[in-house]
Amino acid sequence: MPVDLSMPVLVVDDYKTMIRIIRNLLKQLGFENVDDATDGSDALTKLRDKKYGLVISDWNMEPMTGYELLKEVRSDDDLSRTPFIMVTAESKTENVIAAKKAGVNNYIVKPFNAATLKNKIEAVFGD
Amino acid sequence: MTYPSPRLDPERLEELNKCFEKGRNGEVELSDVVGMAELMVGSMQHFFEGLDSSIYRELRDIAKYLASAKEDIRSLQAHDIKNKRIPEVGKELDEIVKSTEDATNVIMEQAERIMAADTQDTQAYRGEVNDAVTQIFEACAFQDLTGQRIGKIVEALNFIDSRIGRLANALGKTEGKAILTEEEASREKRRQELLTNGPQSEEHAISQGEVDEVMLRDETAQAAEEDAPSQEDIDAMFA
Repeated sequence: MPVDLSMPVLVVDDYKTMIRIIRNLLKQLGFENVDDATDGSDALTKLRDKKYGLVISDWNMEPMTGYELLKEVRSDDDLSRTPFIMVTAESKTENVIAAKKAGVNNYIVKPFNAATLKNKIEAVFGD
Repeated sequence: MTYPSPRLDPERLEELNKCFEKGRNGEVELSDVVGMAELMVGSMQHFFEGLDSSIYRELRDIAKYLASAKEDIRSLQAHDIKNKRIPEVGKELDEIVKSTEDATNVIMEQAERIMAADTQDTQAYRGEVNDAVTQIFEACAFQDLTGQRIGKIVEALNFIDSRIGRLANALGKTEGKAILTEEEASREKRRQELLTNGPQSEEHAISQGEVDEVMLRDETAQAAEEDAPSQEDIDAMFA
Protein backbone atom coordinates (compact mmCIF):
# COMPACT_ATOMS: atom_id res chain seq x y z
CA MET A 1 0.00 0.00 0.00
CA PRO A 2 1.56 3.36 -1.01
CA VAL A 3 2.00 5.87 1.79
CA ASP A 4 -0.67 8.56 1.69
CA LEU A 5 1.39 11.76 1.84
CA SER A 6 -1.69 13.88 2.54
CA MET A 7 -2.52 12.12 5.82
CA PRO A 8 -2.14 14.17 9.01
CA VAL A 9 0.96 13.20 11.03
CA LEU A 10 1.41 14.01 14.71
CA VAL A 11 5.00 14.48 15.93
CA VAL A 12 5.41 14.28 19.73
CA ASP A 13 8.64 15.48 21.34
CA ASP A 14 9.49 17.76 24.26
CA TYR A 15 12.42 19.26 22.34
CA LYS A 16 11.33 21.90 19.86
CA THR A 17 14.54 21.36 17.89
CA MET A 18 13.73 17.67 17.40
CA ILE A 19 10.19 18.54 16.30
CA ARG A 20 11.71 20.94 13.77
CA ILE A 21 14.15 18.28 12.51
CA ILE A 22 11.41 15.65 12.09
CA ARG A 23 9.06 18.21 10.48
CA ASN A 24 11.76 19.12 7.92
CA LEU A 25 12.54 15.47 7.20
CA LEU A 26 8.82 14.72 6.74
CA LYS A 27 8.53 17.74 4.47
CA GLN A 28 11.39 16.40 2.34
CA LEU A 29 9.57 13.06 2.16
CA GLY A 30 6.49 14.88 0.91
CA PHE A 31 4.32 15.09 4.04
CA GLU A 32 2.72 18.52 4.28
CA ASN A 33 0.10 17.96 6.98
CA VAL A 34 2.19 17.76 10.16
CA ASP A 35 1.13 18.79 13.68
CA ASP A 36 3.14 18.57 16.88
CA ALA A 37 2.70 18.05 20.62
CA THR A 38 5.17 18.47 23.47
CA ASP A 39 4.26 15.45 25.62
CA GLY A 40 1.95 12.45 25.85
CA SER A 41 -1.03 14.19 27.40
CA ASP A 42 -0.89 17.06 24.89
CA ALA A 43 -0.72 14.47 22.11
CA LEU A 44 -3.66 12.49 23.51
CA THR A 45 -5.83 15.63 23.50
CA LYS A 46 -4.89 16.32 19.87
CA LEU A 47 -5.48 12.68 18.87
CA ARG A 48 -9.00 12.83 20.35
CA ASP A 49 -9.73 16.09 18.50
CA LYS A 50 -8.49 15.09 15.04
CA LYS A 51 -7.93 11.86 13.15
CA TYR A 52 -4.23 11.28 12.48
CA GLY A 53 -2.80 8.77 10.02
CA LEU A 54 0.49 8.38 11.90
CA VAL A 55 2.00 9.23 15.29
CA ILE A 56 5.77 9.69 15.60
CA SER A 57 6.63 9.97 19.29
CA ASP A 58 9.61 10.36 21.59
CA TRP A 59 9.70 8.15 24.72
CA ASN A 60 11.13 10.25 27.55
CA MET A 61 8.75 13.16 28.21
CA GLU A 62 6.94 14.61 31.21
CA PRO A 63 4.29 14.48 32.55
CA MET A 64 3.20 11.67 30.20
CA THR A 65 5.88 9.61 28.46
CA GLY A 66 5.64 8.28 24.92
CA TYR A 67 5.37 4.76 26.34
CA GLU A 68 2.32 5.77 28.41
CA LEU A 69 0.89 7.54 25.35
CA LEU A 70 1.31 4.36 23.29
CA LYS A 71 -0.53 2.29 25.93
CA GLU A 72 -3.31 4.90 26.14
CA VAL A 73 -3.68 4.93 22.34
CA ARG A 74 -3.80 1.13 22.12
CA SER A 75 -6.42 0.90 24.88
CA ASP A 76 -8.70 3.51 23.29
CA ASP A 77 -11.22 1.97 20.86
CA ASP A 78 -11.20 5.04 18.60
CA LEU A 79 -7.41 5.34 18.44
CA SER A 80 -6.16 1.79 18.83
CA ARG A 81 -5.46 1.27 15.11
CA THR A 82 -3.44 4.47 14.66
CA PRO A 83 0.06 3.61 13.36
CA PHE A 84 2.65 4.54 15.98
CA ILE A 85 6.41 4.90 15.52
CA MET A 86 8.67 5.48 18.51
CA VAL A 87 11.68 7.73 17.79
CA THR A 88 13.81 7.78 20.89
CA ALA A 89 17.22 7.82 22.55
CA GLU A 90 16.06 4.89 24.72
CA SER A 91 18.41 2.33 23.27
CA LYS A 92 18.08 -0.66 25.60
CA THR A 93 16.64 -3.95 24.40
CA GLU A 94 14.13 -3.91 27.27
CA ASN A 95 12.67 -0.66 25.90
CA VAL A 96 12.24 -2.10 22.40
CA ILE A 97 10.61 -5.26 23.80
CA ALA A 98 8.29 -3.24 26.07
CA ALA A 99 7.26 -0.97 23.18
CA LYS A 100 6.68 -3.96 20.93
CA LYS A 101 4.52 -5.64 23.59
CA ALA A 102 2.57 -2.39 23.99
CA GLY A 103 1.83 -2.44 20.26
CA VAL A 104 4.30 -0.06 18.63
CA ASN A 105 4.50 -0.40 14.82
CA ASN A 106 8.16 0.51 14.54
CA TYR A 107 11.06 1.81 16.61
CA ILE A 108 13.82 4.23 15.62
CA VAL A 109 16.82 5.01 17.82
CA LYS A 110 18.24 8.53 17.91
CA PRO A 111 20.35 9.78 16.27
CA PHE A 112 18.72 8.69 13.03
CA ASN A 113 18.78 9.78 9.41
CA ALA A 114 16.19 10.60 6.75
CA ALA A 115 16.59 7.20 5.07
CA THR A 116 15.79 5.34 8.33
CA LEU A 117 12.69 7.47 8.92
CA LYS A 118 11.56 6.87 5.34
CA ASN A 119 12.18 3.10 5.56
CA LYS A 120 10.30 2.75 8.83
CA ILE A 121 7.30 4.77 7.63
CA GLU A 122 7.19 2.65 4.48
CA ALA A 123 7.50 -0.55 6.53
CA VAL A 124 4.56 0.50 8.74
CA PHE A 125 2.35 1.07 5.72
CA GLY A 126 3.62 -2.06 3.98
CA ASP A 127 4.98 -0.13 1.01
CA MET B 1 33.89 -1.92 90.86
CA THR B 2 33.50 1.72 91.83
CA TYR B 3 33.94 4.62 89.41
CA PRO B 4 35.28 8.06 90.34
CA SER B 5 32.69 10.82 90.09
CA PRO B 6 33.00 12.72 86.78
CA ARG B 7 34.44 16.23 86.96
CA LEU B 8 34.18 18.63 84.03
CA ASP B 9 37.08 20.94 83.30
CA PRO B 10 35.78 24.60 83.55
CA GLU B 11 37.64 25.61 80.34
CA ARG B 12 36.05 22.78 78.39
CA LEU B 13 32.69 23.64 79.91
CA GLU B 14 33.09 27.14 78.49
CA GLU B 15 33.84 25.72 75.01
CA LEU B 16 30.82 23.44 75.30
CA ASN B 17 28.64 26.43 76.21
CA LYS B 18 29.85 28.22 73.07
CA CYS B 19 28.87 25.21 70.98
CA PHE B 20 25.40 25.10 72.54
CA GLU B 21 25.05 28.85 71.87
CA LYS B 22 25.91 28.26 68.17
CA GLY B 23 23.32 25.49 68.14
CA ARG B 24 20.64 27.83 69.45
CA ASN B 25 21.53 30.26 66.64
CA GLY B 26 21.22 27.46 64.08
CA GLU B 27 24.89 27.71 62.99
CA VAL B 28 25.93 24.16 63.83
CA GLU B 29 27.89 22.23 61.24
CA LEU B 30 28.89 18.58 61.16
CA SER B 31 32.43 19.48 62.18
CA ASP B 32 30.99 21.29 65.27
CA VAL B 33 29.12 18.16 66.30
CA VAL B 34 32.27 16.08 65.97
CA GLY B 35 34.16 18.80 67.86
CA MET B 36 31.57 18.73 70.64
CA ALA B 37 31.84 14.98 70.94
CA GLU B 38 35.61 15.37 71.12
CA LEU B 39 35.23 18.02 73.87
CA MET B 40 32.84 15.83 75.82
CA VAL B 41 35.27 12.95 75.70
CA GLY B 42 38.17 15.28 76.63
CA SER B 43 36.28 16.88 79.51
CA MET B 44 35.79 13.48 81.08
CA GLN B 45 39.55 12.86 81.20
CA HIS B 46 39.72 12.84 85.02
CA PHE B 47 36.91 10.34 85.08
CA PHE B 48 38.63 8.13 82.53
CA GLU B 49 41.92 8.21 84.41
CA GLY B 50 40.26 6.47 87.30
CA LEU B 51 39.00 3.68 85.09
CA ASP B 52 40.67 0.51 84.08
CA SER B 53 43.61 1.37 81.78
CA SER B 54 42.31 -0.82 78.92
CA ILE B 55 38.99 1.04 78.91
CA TYR B 56 40.93 4.27 79.06
CA ARG B 57 42.93 3.26 76.00
CA GLU B 58 39.71 2.40 74.15
CA LEU B 59 38.23 5.78 74.96
CA ARG B 60 41.45 7.56 74.01
CA ASP B 61 41.31 5.79 70.64
CA ILE B 62 37.72 6.97 70.22
CA ALA B 63 38.84 10.52 70.95
CA LYS B 64 41.66 10.18 68.40
CA TYR B 65 39.23 8.77 65.85
CA LEU B 66 36.86 11.68 66.42
CA ALA B 67 39.70 14.17 66.01
CA SER B 68 40.76 12.50 62.77
CA ALA B 69 37.15 12.37 61.49
CA LYS B 70 36.86 16.08 62.24
CA GLU B 71 39.99 16.72 60.19
CA ASP B 72 38.66 14.60 57.31
CA ILE B 73 35.35 16.46 57.34
CA ARG B 74 37.22 19.76 57.31
CA SER B 75 39.32 18.62 54.33
CA LEU B 76 36.13 17.65 52.47
CA GLN B 77 35.51 21.41 52.05
CA ALA B 78 31.76 20.80 51.98
CA HIS B 79 30.99 24.54 51.90
CA ASP B 80 33.25 25.04 48.91
CA ILE B 81 31.62 22.11 47.10
CA LYS B 82 28.06 23.20 47.91
CA ASN B 83 28.43 26.94 47.42
CA LYS B 84 31.02 27.14 44.66
CA ARG B 85 31.81 23.93 42.76
CA ILE B 86 28.26 22.54 42.27
CA PRO B 87 26.71 25.92 41.23
CA GLU B 88 29.62 26.41 38.79
CA VAL B 89 28.97 23.00 37.23
CA GLY B 90 25.25 23.88 36.92
CA LYS B 91 26.06 27.19 35.22
CA GLU B 92 28.47 25.56 32.77
CA LEU B 93 25.88 22.91 31.88
CA ASP B 94 23.22 25.60 31.33
CA GLU B 95 25.65 27.44 29.03
CA ILE B 96 26.32 24.24 27.08
CA VAL B 97 22.59 23.60 26.62
CA LYS B 98 22.08 27.20 25.50
CA SER B 99 25.02 27.32 23.10
CA THR B 100 24.16 23.99 21.45
CA GLU B 101 20.52 25.10 21.14
CA ASP B 102 21.52 28.47 19.63
CA ALA B 103 23.90 26.81 17.19
CA THR B 104 21.32 24.21 16.17
CA ASN B 105 18.77 26.95 15.53
CA VAL B 106 21.18 28.93 13.36
CA ILE B 107 22.16 25.82 11.38
CA MET B 108 18.54 24.80 10.87
CA GLU B 109 17.45 28.31 9.90
CA GLN B 110 20.18 28.48 7.28
CA ALA B 111 19.39 24.97 5.99
CA GLU B 112 15.72 25.94 5.71
CA ARG B 113 16.80 29.14 3.93
CA ILE B 114 18.71 27.08 1.33
CA MET B 115 15.76 24.71 0.90
CA ALA B 116 13.39 27.63 0.33
CA ALA B 117 15.73 29.68 -1.91
CA ASP B 118 14.58 30.55 -5.44
CA THR B 119 16.69 28.63 -7.95
CA GLN B 120 15.54 30.62 -10.99
CA ASP B 121 18.17 33.35 -10.66
CA THR B 122 21.38 31.31 -10.51
CA GLN B 123 23.62 34.16 -9.36
CA ALA B 124 21.26 35.25 -6.55
CA TYR B 125 20.79 31.61 -5.53
CA ARG B 126 24.56 31.12 -5.36
CA GLY B 127 24.93 34.23 -3.17
CA GLU B 128 22.13 33.01 -0.90
CA VAL B 129 23.70 29.55 -0.51
CA ASN B 130 27.20 30.98 0.12
CA ASP B 131 25.88 33.31 2.81
CA ALA B 132 23.89 30.52 4.49
CA VAL B 133 26.86 28.12 4.42
CA THR B 134 29.13 30.78 5.96
CA GLN B 135 26.66 31.23 8.82
CA ILE B 136 26.56 27.46 9.32
CA PHE B 137 30.36 27.36 9.60
CA GLU B 138 30.29 30.21 12.12
CA ALA B 139 27.63 28.49 14.21
CA CYS B 140 29.79 25.35 14.41
CA ALA B 141 32.30 27.32 16.53
CA PHE B 142 30.16 26.37 19.53
CA GLN B 143 31.94 23.00 19.57
CA ASP B 144 35.24 24.55 20.71
CA LEU B 145 33.61 26.50 23.58
CA THR B 146 31.53 23.50 24.60
CA GLY B 147 34.66 21.35 24.77
CA GLN B 148 36.32 23.88 27.09
CA ARG B 149 33.25 24.11 29.32
CA ILE B 150 33.06 20.33 29.56
CA GLY B 151 36.73 20.32 30.58
CA LYS B 152 35.89 22.66 33.49
CA ILE B 153 32.99 20.44 34.55
CA VAL B 154 35.18 17.33 34.52
CA GLU B 155 37.76 19.16 36.66
CA ALA B 156 35.12 20.16 39.24
CA LEU B 157 33.67 16.64 39.33
CA ASN B 158 37.14 15.16 39.83
CA PHE B 159 37.69 17.55 42.75
CA ILE B 160 34.39 16.51 44.39
CA ASP B 161 35.04 12.83 43.66
CA SER B 162 38.51 12.90 45.25
CA ARG B 163 37.27 14.68 48.42
CA ILE B 164 34.28 12.37 48.90
CA GLY B 165 36.39 9.30 48.13
CA ARG B 166 38.95 10.36 50.73
CA LEU B 167 36.24 10.86 53.38
CA ALA B 168 34.59 7.54 52.53
CA ASN B 169 37.94 5.79 52.92
CA ALA B 170 38.66 7.56 56.21
CA LEU B 171 35.28 6.52 57.59
CA GLY B 172 35.83 2.99 56.31
CA LYS B 173 32.52 2.94 54.49
CA THR B 174 32.69 2.61 50.75
CA GLU B 175 29.59 0.58 50.07
CA GLY B 176 26.03 0.50 51.27
CA LYS B 177 22.51 1.19 50.22
CA ALA B 178 21.88 4.81 49.31
CA ILE B 179 19.27 6.50 51.44
CA LEU B 180 16.75 8.18 49.16
CA THR B 181 14.29 10.88 50.10
CA GLU B 182 10.61 10.15 49.47
CA GLU B 183 10.68 12.31 46.32
CA GLU B 184 13.85 10.64 45.02
CA ALA B 185 12.41 7.17 45.71
CA SER B 186 9.21 8.06 43.88
CA ARG B 187 11.17 9.41 40.88
CA GLU B 188 13.32 6.27 40.81
CA LYS B 189 10.22 4.03 40.95
CA ARG B 190 8.64 5.94 38.04
CA ARG B 191 11.89 5.75 36.08
CA GLN B 192 12.01 1.96 36.52
CA GLU B 193 8.32 1.40 35.73
CA LEU B 194 8.36 3.57 32.61
CA LEU B 195 11.82 2.44 31.49
CA THR B 196 13.10 5.99 31.09
CA ASN B 197 16.76 5.02 31.02
CA GLY B 198 17.86 7.89 28.77
CA PRO B 199 20.62 7.70 26.17
CA GLN B 200 23.16 4.91 26.67
CA SER B 201 26.89 4.99 26.05
CA GLU B 202 28.01 3.59 22.70
CA GLU B 203 29.17 0.47 24.53
CA HIS B 204 25.72 -0.27 25.96
CA ALA B 205 23.35 1.19 23.35
CA ILE B 206 21.85 -1.14 20.76
CA SER B 207 22.04 -0.18 17.09
CA GLN B 208 19.15 0.39 14.69
CA GLY B 209 19.98 -3.01 13.18
CA GLU B 210 19.57 -4.71 16.56
CA VAL B 211 16.31 -2.81 17.16
CA ASP B 212 15.04 -4.07 13.80
CA GLU B 213 15.96 -7.63 14.77
CA VAL B 214 13.98 -7.37 18.01
CA MET B 215 11.02 -5.87 16.14
CA LEU B 216 11.05 -8.70 13.60
CA ARG B 217 11.74 -11.50 16.10
CA ASP B 218 9.10 -14.17 16.42
CA GLU B 219 6.92 -13.54 19.52
CA THR B 220 6.99 -17.20 20.65
CA ALA B 221 10.75 -17.43 20.36
CA GLN B 222 11.08 -14.16 22.22
CA ALA B 223 8.84 -15.34 25.06
CA ALA B 224 10.79 -18.60 25.28
CA GLU B 225 14.05 -16.66 25.32
CA GLU B 226 12.79 -14.42 28.14
CA ASP B 227 11.66 -17.44 30.16
CA ALA B 228 14.82 -19.43 29.51
CA PRO B 229 17.20 -19.54 32.47
CA SER B 230 20.51 -17.75 32.01
CA GLN B 231 23.86 -19.48 32.64
CA GLU B 232 23.96 -17.66 35.99
CA ASP B 233 20.55 -19.13 36.92
CA ILE B 234 21.76 -22.62 35.93
CA ASP B 235 25.01 -22.18 37.91
CA ALA B 236 22.96 -21.09 40.93
CA MET B 237 20.96 -24.35 40.72
CA PHE B 238 24.16 -26.41 40.98
CA ALA B 239 25.86 -24.27 43.60
